[in-house]
Amino acid sequence: MPETELWITKLFNDNLAGLGNTLTGLVGMAPEARPWANFVTMELLVALIIVVLFAILKPRLSADRPGGLQHTCELLYGFFKQQAEDQMRHDAPHYLAYCGTIFIFVLLCNLIGIVPGMESPTMTPSVTAGCAIATFFYYNLVGLQANGVLKYLAHFAGPVWWLAPLMIPIEIASHLARPLSLTIRLFANMFAGEQVTVVFLKLTFFLVPVVFMGLHVFVSFLQAYVFMLLTMMYVAGAVEHEH
Amino acid sequence: MTKKNAMWMLALLFLASPMIFAQADPADTSAIAQAHTQWKAIAAGFSMAIASGLCALAQAKAVAAVAEGTARNPGAADAIRFALILGLALIESMALYTFVIIFVKVL
Repeated sequence: MPETELWITKLFNDNLAGLGNTLTGLVGMAPEARPWANFVTMELLVALIIVVLFAILKPRLSADRPGGLQHTCELLYGFFKQQAEDQMRHDAPHYLAYCGTIFIFVLLCNLIGIVPGMESPTMTPSVTAGCAIATFFYYNLVGLQANGVLKYLAHFAGPVWWLAPLMIPIEIASHLARPLSLTIRLFANMFAGEQVTVVFLKLTFFLVPVVFMGLHVFVSFLQAYVFMLLTMMYVAGAVEHEH
Repeated sequence: MTKKNAMWMLALLFLASPMIFAQADPADTSAIAQAHTQWKAIAAGFSMAIASGLCALAQAKAVAAVAEGTARNPGAADAIRFALILGLALIESMALYTFVIIFVKVL
């Protein structure tokens, strides 16, 4: 399917093509005429929005007279803390930062597709694979850090030692299936949301797909929540100490 | 159409497929490619329908269990709702795997 350029991507490609080719050249890709892809510029835009949001928040933080933005962020933080304590019990504060960041990033990436003239970067499998691989490395590294290398690898052997030859391939396969399922779940939900909107636009007339865009908003929240929840569950599984 | 009739029609379709493949001329690549496209379209339609149907059945079971559980024990409604949301999202993703395969392999 031919990819049409958004106006942001056109801006990047017209002015910063050299930078794009340098960056892709760093990983060994050949230079092309228009190196910036839609999802790259959209991801950068989402990162910029997050940075600007927190840059606005910081000077307005106040214990005596909290403003609206502080209230919203406190609600959000309370939500994260509740979820983390449900899933990760003892070690929640350490790992809250990554899980909360993943939630906000995935949520804003999903929602930015509703805005006309922009598309969700999570509609491309590359972006969701990036998030899933980051989560994979995070929970494994965190598990290694919390338990030590030998005890973490002993997790793969299962509950009793004589089941190990059976359990180790099963555990390895299930661990490898985790980033795959995270990738495809998020990508397929966002992609299907857009396809359904487009198809119903073709089938009926102008304002009918608004219903599907509403569904897409709900699904965006749900999928971001499920991504964060699964990250927390994997981290909890990796760092659990056997008592 | 009853379930039994639908199963018979599906079985007839599967039985008829070798005849259609056998009649294709090996030297005529465009006809084979066209036949492949037609069969890919039919396969995509059926597989997505089966996946969506089974996904709907599974989600219906989940919602029914949640409704009954909440009715029996309204105090546990929050925990049950959490399990519902997680379960529905995971079941939904199974149907979406089929959708992804269709978009990757067929279209």
